[in-house]
Amino acid sequence: MKRPRMRNRRLGIWIPLTLVVLWAATPLVWALSASFKTRSEFAKTPPLFFPENPTIEAYQKVLGDGGFWTFARNSLLIAVVATVVTVAVSTIAAYGFARYAFKWRHVLLLVILLPRLVPRISLIVPVYDLMRGLGLLNTQFTLMVVYIGMAIPLATWIMIGFVGGIPRELDEAARVDGATSWGVFQRIILPLAIPGLLTISVLAFREAWNEFPFALALTNSPDVRTLPYQLFLFKDTLGILDVGLIQGFTILSIIPILIIYIVFEKHVVAGLTAGAVK
Amino acid sequence: MKTAKPVSTRQVASQAGASWGVRRGLTPLLFVGPAVIFVIVIMVYPVFRGVWLSLHESNPFTGTTRFVGLGQFIDLFGAPAFRSSLRQSLILVAGTVVIGMLVAIGFAMVLDRAPLGRLWRTVILVPWLISGVAVATIWRALFSPTGGFADTVTSALGLERIVWFGKPGTAMFVIIMINVWSISPFSTLIIYTGLKTVSLDLYEAASIDGASPLAKFWHVTLPSIRPQFAIALVFLSFAAFNSFETILLTTGGGPARSTEVLAVVLFRKGFEQLDFNSAAAVMVVLLVINLVLSVSYVKLFGADEST
Repeated sequence: MKRPRMRNRRLGIWIPLTLVVLWAATPLVWALSASFKTRSEFAKTPPLFFPENPTIEAYQKVLGDGGFWTFARNSLLIAVVATVVTVAVSTIAAYGFARYAFKWRHVLLLVILLPRLVPRISLIVPVYDLMRGLGLLNTQFTLMVVYIGMAIPLATWIMIGFVGGIPRELDEAARVDGATSWGVFQRIILPLAIPGLLTISVLAFREAWNEFPFALALTNSPDVRTLPYQLFLFKDTLGILDVGLIQGFTILSIIPILIIYIVFEKHVVAGLTAGAVK
Repeated sequence: MKTAKPVSTRQVASQAGASWGVRRGLTPLLFVGPAVIFVIVIMVYPVFRGVWLSLHESNPFTGTTRFVGLGQFIDLFGAPAFRSSLRQSLILVAGTVVIGMLVAIGFAMVLDRAPLGRLWRTVILVPWLISGVAVATIWRALFSPTGGFADTVTSALGLERIVWFGKPGTAMFVIIMINVWSISPFSTLIIYTGLKTVSLDLYEAASIDGASPLAKFWHVTLPSIRPQFAIALVFLSFAAFNSFETILLTTGGGPARSTEVLAVVLFRKGFEQLDFNSAAAVMVVLLVINLVLSVSYVKLFGADEST
């Protein structure tokens, strides 16, 4: 989709484009570079931007420590379960809302959508209070349920947009062939809503993989600890800040979400354009 | 699917072509039920529970709870520290929203005109993808008083060393920058998708009328991306109120509580002072501010239904 009016401006675009990319990338490149520095290189004045003697010591230390793998496994398990359940529940709900008229439809739709006006951090105390009452503190299950509940409103909203865009005639045709409600969902809606599914999957995974305040409030033991929580603890537990080690840990913790995003980038942008911005 | 199945009245109705407004029964409730239950348990019930907590006071020694009406709120607003936190929160949010929107619109316009748009679009979105803890960890090191990147820059420019997190003004400034860096990319993406929908005919018509680039931006671009503008704005505002780890890991609310915004106050009251009732009152304040802001954003910049 080349736009003819842009051609003559191409040359003048490189300066602002460089500034934009520098703003976004400099902190990341700095963190990457710091993760390869030796300890003594941090003491240099003026500080170095790139290491003189790059070392992979930080990565050896992080990956050689059993803790990292436990925290990575916890984060992955929580994020994958939260994503799968969020996507399944939201898509089916979107089908119900987009295709059926039923009693309480408007009320239930408001129940799902109004919570988008609630800043999540504000719920931290009552959610803690609820989970303590249920005896569910310090479990991965609790974090999964919390992340699912908080991801559903946006995911359902986006999916209603997608399902609503599928021509109703396809449903009718399948029904004439004898398909049940569930059959229509499986055979018509699901295959056509895949771009939407990918969009909400990436959004839900990002939320669960990155989430910190609720993990901090609802868990405390190392066996359920997630990567962001451990990264937070580095502040206190090490007597002297080992900046290289911390940046190495940071880089490793962001690689999975980067890979997932880059693989699905096209769908997510298309999905947001079609679904979220309505 | 299975044609041998007994045909229900519902199916008869749908086969007759009346798919909307006719089907009744449990089926749609089964579809929307799980989502509704999750949201009620995790978001709706906690809001009501929080409001209830904010109207009560518990005695940790006797384990009793009594109704105090607006007592918690009177205590909150009577405390200078809370009023200062409220002010700091509004400064943080206003700074993030204003600078974030300028950055989002500017960056989106650059990306819209740039070659290899998809590559740069991915690069600029990375700060938004990574966790708040990772963002804070990186920026804490950037502005570290020992060997940080900011020192490299100030010494290269021959300026005096600045202890960025040491003074209220610079600490808040850096936190706003962290927010803009990590939150605004998503707003940029939204504005960018809006720019793609602007009709080229409008630009051409404006050109024929001899409009300046600024006039084109003001009279063609901005009105055309109004819905995206509103969404980007609401998103920035919500995310700014949710800033928690960026502050906890950099300044911890300091210096002299100058960056202790409502989210941090809420957490401290709840999990350090273990005063759930007072923390719940902070929650209600946060909720009310966000509701009022959302409504005003939509009123001010919302999609104009008539066009």
